[in-house]
Amino acid sequence: MASSSSSFNAQSPGLKTYFKTPEGRYKLQYEKTHPAGLLHYSHGKAVSQLTIAYLREKPAAQPPATPTTPGSGGGVRSAAARFLGAGNGSRALSFVGGNGVNRGVSGSARIGGSVGVSVGSSGPFASSNYDGKGTYLIFNAGDTLFISDLNSHDKDPIKCIHFSNSNPSCHAFDADAIDGHDLLIGLHSGDVYSVSLRQQLQDVGKKLVGVQHYNKDGAINNSRCTCISWVPEGDGIFVVAHADGNLYVYDKSKDGATDCSFPVVKDQTQFTVSHARSSKSNPIARWHICQGSINSISFSTDGTHLATVGRDGYLRVFDYSKELLICGGKSYYGALLCCAWSPDGKYILTGGEDDLVQVWSMEDWKLVAWGEGHNSWVSGVAFDSYWSVPNSDGTGENVMYRFGSVGQDTQLLLWDLVMDEIVVPLRCYPSGGSPTLSSGSPSAHWDSIVPIGTLQPAPSMRDVPKLSPVVAHRAHVEPLAGLIFTQDSVLTICREGHIKIWVRPIQGDSSQSNASVTALGSDGSIDMLVTTSARSIGSNYKQPPPILLAD
Amino acid sequence: MVMGATGSKLEKALGDQFPEGERYFGLENFGNTCYCNSVLQALYFCIPFREQLLEYYSNNKNLGDAEENLLTCLADLFTQINSQKKKTGVIAPKRFVQRVKKQNELFRSYMHQDAHEFLNFLLNELVDILEKETNAAKSSENSPPSDKLANGPRQLQANGARKEPIVTWVHKCFQGILTNETRCLRCETVTARDETFFDLSLDIEQNSSITSCLKNFCSTETLNAEDKFFCDKCCSLQEAQKRMKIKKAPYILVIHLKRFKYIEQLGRYKKLSYRVVFPLELKLNNTMDNSDSEYSLFAVVVHVGSGPNHGHYISLVKSHNHWLFFDDENVEMIDESTVQTFFGSSQEYSSNTDHGYILFYESIGGKN
Repeated sequence: MASSSSSFNAQSPGLKTYFKTPEGRYKLQYEKTHPAGLLHYSHGKAVSQLTIAYLREKPAAQPPATPTTPGSGGGVRSAAARFLGAGNGSRALSFVGGNGVNRGVSGSARIGGSVGVSVGSSGPFASSNYDGKGTYLIFNAGDTLFISDLNSHDKDPIKCIHFSNSNPSCHAFDADAIDGHDLLIGLHSGDVYSVSLRQQLQDVGKKLVGVQHYNKDGAINNSRCTCISWVPEGDGIFVVAHADGNLYVYDKSKDGATDCSFPVVKDQTQFTVSHARSSKSNPIARWHICQGSINSISFSTDGTHLATVGRDGYLRVFDYSKELLICGGKSYYGALLCCAWSPDGKYILTGGEDDLVQVWSMEDWKLVAWGEGHNSWVSGVAFDSYWSVPNSDGTGENVMYRFGSVGQDTQLLLWDLVMDEIVVPLRCYPSGGSPTLSSGSPSAHWDSIVPIGTLQPAPSMRDVPKLSPVVAHRAHVEPLAGLIFTQDSVLTICREGHIKIWVRPIQGDSSQSNASVTALGSDGSIDMLVTTSARSIGSNYKQPPPILLAD
Repeated sequence: MVMGATGSKLEKALGDQFPEGERYFGLENFGNTCYCNSVLQALYFCIPFREQLLEYYSNNKNLGDAEENLLTCLADLFTQINSQKKKTGVIAPKRFVQRVKKQNELFRSYMHQDAHEFLNFLLNELVDILEKETNAAKSSENSPPSDKLANGPRQLQANGARKEPIVTWVHKCFQGILTNETRCLRCETVTARDETFFDLSLDIEQNSSITSCLKNFCSTETLNAEDKFFCDKCCSLQEAQKRMKIKKAPYILVIHLKRFKYIEQLGRYKKLSYRVVFPLELKLNNTMDNSDSEYSLFAVVVHVGSGPNHGHYISLVKSHNHWLFFDDENVEMIDESTVQTFFGSSQEYSSNTDHGYILFYESIGGKN
């Protein structure tokens, strides 16, 4: 363990291989990367995204017994598990848990394969009897899509798929896919592919195999695919967001190569939905959402709501099946870059170019808090769906959310959110400043009821309660692009496509938990909220003041 | 001929979206005058500045070439660009550059110059000239008002109540006020001193944002040890806390990234290639009145090269919602997302050497 830690250090001088949290120490377990010397020619534009894929046993060995009826116990679990992936919509990931495969190798020191997998070779997994069951990381860098085995300590990918025409920019996986096509890939050129992940793993070549190709050569839309997602419980329906503010709805069961056109968008700033005239057409619909790029999208766990964020700085929340804008609001300033739902669909996180992590409530369609702690743009946000309230002393009603964010400041931040009682934000006045401030009307933001379909303007800095992170950790040397929580770990990926896997503290190991918890938010005194939540955290560490929200 | 070709290429790229009455002209380089060209383009597309300058020209053209100075040369140049028949092409800012060299020996050599230093010099020169004209008009106030100097005196009247200092239109565009608050840690007395500024020079950190650099700029620093503060009340050197607040936000916010840093061990300047991201919209939240005034990025002067003593300057300019790339004679249209390629390098040794150096933001507060 020690030796492996030091080897990580050697590669990233000055970076710690662990970070401390109230519940214990997260350790850098291993890293995943791709062959070096491949990048930089598209500097600044090529950003890696990360998708986690829980690939089950071959359908042949196990009949497709996935419950598809929402409401059954199994269905809920499956949906909840899938949310975990979809939670990080910006990374366009989806995954299904619940079958235990992700407990695989953690803690074991076995190295998967002593042979250094040579670059570009198909590696040891290309044997024909390989059924592919396991957990995989799918990530793009430059013109290549890489697939790594999460549970192997091998740094190198087991599969490299080259794209000759355009660079891959986003991807998504659906473990509930009924037929083989479970992996979606969107390209810079606007092209979209659906394939079977297992088929890719079994193939020895460096090209995608068995593809269905949509929006060929960008015939329908030639702007970059920014984010792609399966519709939860959508029976093979998926959506693709583009850099020109359009989102297309496709059906994988239909031919991808049909001709189809949509009317010209008359007003770029207006939300409009156009359905394809022909029933054979694929895409089946176009949503024009905003002026400028849609930077990220995320479905709520049950698929009823779709959140989008974009260049115009607005979060928009839609009722997906009704194709209706429900609510939304603006960043403090600048574009929003990422968004994610809480597991219960009550909260949405966004992050963007104002360096803030924003928490929005779906219960009253309002912004509830700003997280201050990043020193650059926030590029990824996600709720930790595996988080459980530590040592709840039986008060029962305290629901605590843990979430994480990553930024271009190379930092991973973890945050806590406590739901306890209604708290009105304290008015703050700049300390040391003149007390004769211009009064400024008490913001209507907190009092009014929001009519449906309203996009709220950016609030004033002093009107929004602030959160401080529980932990701040400089995770990589490069700006970060995304994060994913799994049952065992937190995964971070940087823009250049290097992945680190931070294994969670061992349960019950409290020996380290009260060590130096990084206390942050030096100026937090100004906007901090009074908290009565100490009882909700029955441990012996000093909790930075969490925020309280209406439950 | 090449120039014509580039011109038509840009016109083709813009097509019928070519803005009415707008001119996109490259500027000829007279041997390392890119520092000057890049700043001139940024200023030309600073619309309030351009309009004032064109107005100044039209108010003063009847004076003939009585007295050439930097202001008249600049007004001349902007008018020349603005009144071109063609929509695109190349202009040689010869008179202006000659004037700059005449005025300041620093810029006389063919050495690589600092664009920020040039911008500073230029704005201060313009202010000096305008102030002198205003004073001259004031001293002849008893005599009938001169129409010829309308541009200057009119500004004076607008600020009639305040005799000093004179507020010229250059001030109105670029000037902001910082308050330097120092709190003596012994007697708790707060000393506040106002300073005016035309731009904010920010220290930068690797993998940070302008927002974060501004926050650091306004953060509290403790003066102690060698660097104590002389407290007037205590009549002695004391430990103190110092912080900067923006008392009055400027209309045009110019941010200079301190990319050229003196490294003592090396005994010379070094270029910091740090990746500092700048958003297309920005708010200043450290202002005294908590106004949260919003700005929109409209120009970036980019330093190209790995060291402080050589390299090249180009500028990125937003005009009528299109982004343009000005590299001396050459003008091209670029996508908004291309601006991101000028943030800097996240690691020290990178082939990317094009780094945003001076950022120009315009207030859009009025529109909201």
